[in-house]
Amino acid sequence: MTSQEIEYLPPTPGAMKSVFPHLDCLVDAIDALKQAGYTNMVVTAPLPRHEIEEQLYDGRPSPIRWFTLCGALFGGSMGFSVASLTHTNWPMIIPAGKPLVSIPAFIVITFESTILFGSLFTLAGLLLMCGLPSHGLQSEVRDPRFSDDVFGLVVNGLAQADAQRVRNILNDNGAAEVTGLESNNG
Amino acid sequence: MKGLTYGAVTRDILEPLFKPSAAYVGLLGFCVALLAWGGYCWFLQLTMGLGVGGYAPPVFWGVYITTFVFWVGIGHAGTLISAILFLFRSKWRTGVYRASEAMTIFAVMSAALFPAIHVGRAWNAYWLFPYPNQRQLWQNFKSPLMWDVFAVSTYFTVSTIFFYIGLIPDIAAVRDRTTGTIRKIYDALALGWRGTDRQWRHYMAAYGFFAAFATPLVLSVHSVVSWDFAMAQTAGWHSTLFPPYFVAGAIFSGCAMVITLLLPMSLIFKWEKYINVWHYESLAKMCLLTGTILTYAYGVEHYIAWYSDNPYEWGIFVYRAVGEEYGWVFYMMVFCNCLAPLIWWIPSMRRNLVVLFVVSIIINIGMWFERYNIIASSLAHQFDPASWTYYAPSWVELGIMVGSFGWFGMWFVMFIKIMPSVAVAEIKELIRPPLKSDQVAAK
Repeated sequence: MTSQEIEYLPPTPGAMKSVFPHLDCLVDAIDALKQAGYTNMVVTAPLPRHEIEEQLYDGRPSPIRWFTLCGALFGGSMGFSVASLTHTNWPMIIPAGKPLVSIPAFIVITFESTILFGSLFTLAGLLLMCGLPSHGLQSEVRDPRFSDDVFGLVVNGLAQADAQRVRNILNDNGAAEVTGLESNNG
Repeated sequence: MKGLTYGAVTRDILEPLFKPSAAYVGLLGFCVALLAWGGYCWFLQLTMGLGVGGYAPPVFWGVYITTFVFWVGIGHAGTLISAILFLFRSKWRTGVYRASEAMTIFAVMSAALFPAIHVGRAWNAYWLFPYPNQRQLWQNFKSPLMWDVFAVSTYFTVSTIFFYIGLIPDIAAVRDRTTGTIRKIYDALALGWRGTDRQWRHYMAAYGFFAAFATPLVLSVHSVVSWDFAMAQTAGWHSTLFPPYFVAGAIFSGCAMVITLLLPMSLIFKWEKYINVWHYESLAKMCLLTGTILTYAYGVEHYIAWYSDNPYEWGIFVYRAVGEEYGWVFYMMVFCNCLAPLIWWIPSMRRNLVVLFVVSIIINIGMWFERYNIIASSLAHQFDPASWTYYAPSWVELGIMVGSFGWFGMWFVMFIKIMPSVAVAEIKELIRPPLKSDQVAAK
């Protein structure tokens, strides 16, 4: 951490940040917080872990798939339409009964457009759902250690009265560091 | 990967960034010099016309199209490794996929130069793209050349998106370990990525979809490229065998190029923990598989030509094999693509770094000659013997081809110093996560 520039940003009101060096502790802490009724939390990790996703989203799939489906359908129909309509718009009548709108000949354009627009819509969906590009995330998640070797758990929307209880839950479940909501704590 | 920690992975992979040694600068300078030479040759062609490119009737496809197909072929391994092997959950892909993907992008960028160079009036190359002109006349969507524009541009776009999306968490890791202006640049490139649960959730879903889209693309792109030839009524080209034959060849050359590039890189950067003989052996096995398919395809196309009893078809295959002009090209191809890789059937040979490196280069030489063999010989000996000719590349063409290697090398060499060439976040996925229960058990 010596060469890192840690930017100073004011703490978010009502947020408590904790650092977990162990994955199982983090998962236990999320579970304990949920059971205590604290569900407004953000978890940061240097890698994707299914345990975290399971705890927070209960196996609900990401809606990204709808973007993908819409993009692929749009691309495929647009590719075929462009190829067909341009051929009918300027018809070249070729002897031997060759059709103007030829399905085999337009398959490649249709296929490529399906893939292209499916991917572009998926990209748009990803950026939209993740809120990217975003440089305004709360200061608690902007810790350089979270892209390296530890996990972060930030509980948001806490009242001062809840602070000690949440802090205890985090500490009891193996948090290496808990910060936030100290100023009015006494 | 035993004994590694998340922190060690981050340190090891980000360590070689931003510290160019004299040898690195020399290598980059060499690539730029090759590119400059290629640029000079292209300038000559732009000012003097395609005649300096060695084209003469009836041969109008030569080194440029050969090199175009070569680079598109090289571009296959990266997405194969990153997408198909991702869907198969192949563990060995993790160490090598980032550099392979970079290789893919730069190879397709190299390929993309050649249609513009080949058409001569490069400033009109945008006519390839579908847009209506003043007469509302569109391109012919039934033309395989039009299919090719769609296939290669889609492949480039999707591969680039896939590559960039894969890079975002690692760019964020670089950002968190830099300061000042460099940090600001990486912060912008990381799009503000912080690895939150919401980000990872959608990211992993999208990554799977990108892989699913890229997978059929890998198989389709070179199929479409092969139709540039196979849809033409030219002896030696007009064959339904071409798509699988070209796809196998592309993966063959691409995997060989991955070995050529990654072997010295991993040794120089001391990344043996992440890219080692296990990866090279897996790549060599991929080459053995695809090389065997390729050899079979060579045999089958000769058999079909003989069995078809078509004198033009059989004639071109005889001409390729025993003709005075292109016989050496044919045997070069057979030696490099069919015989040389056989040494990898011996396990110790595909674990020997020198043998791996040398054979991978031989394969790529052979794959360039394969495309040259297909293109030049068929066009030089078409149906009318009166029009038979001999096409040999001019020094301008070869200069532009060499320049494309400089262009490719320049991008790759720059990439490995400014971006993590091994996927930091994905390598961490291979390591057992830090668990309190493990610590307790150890006590």
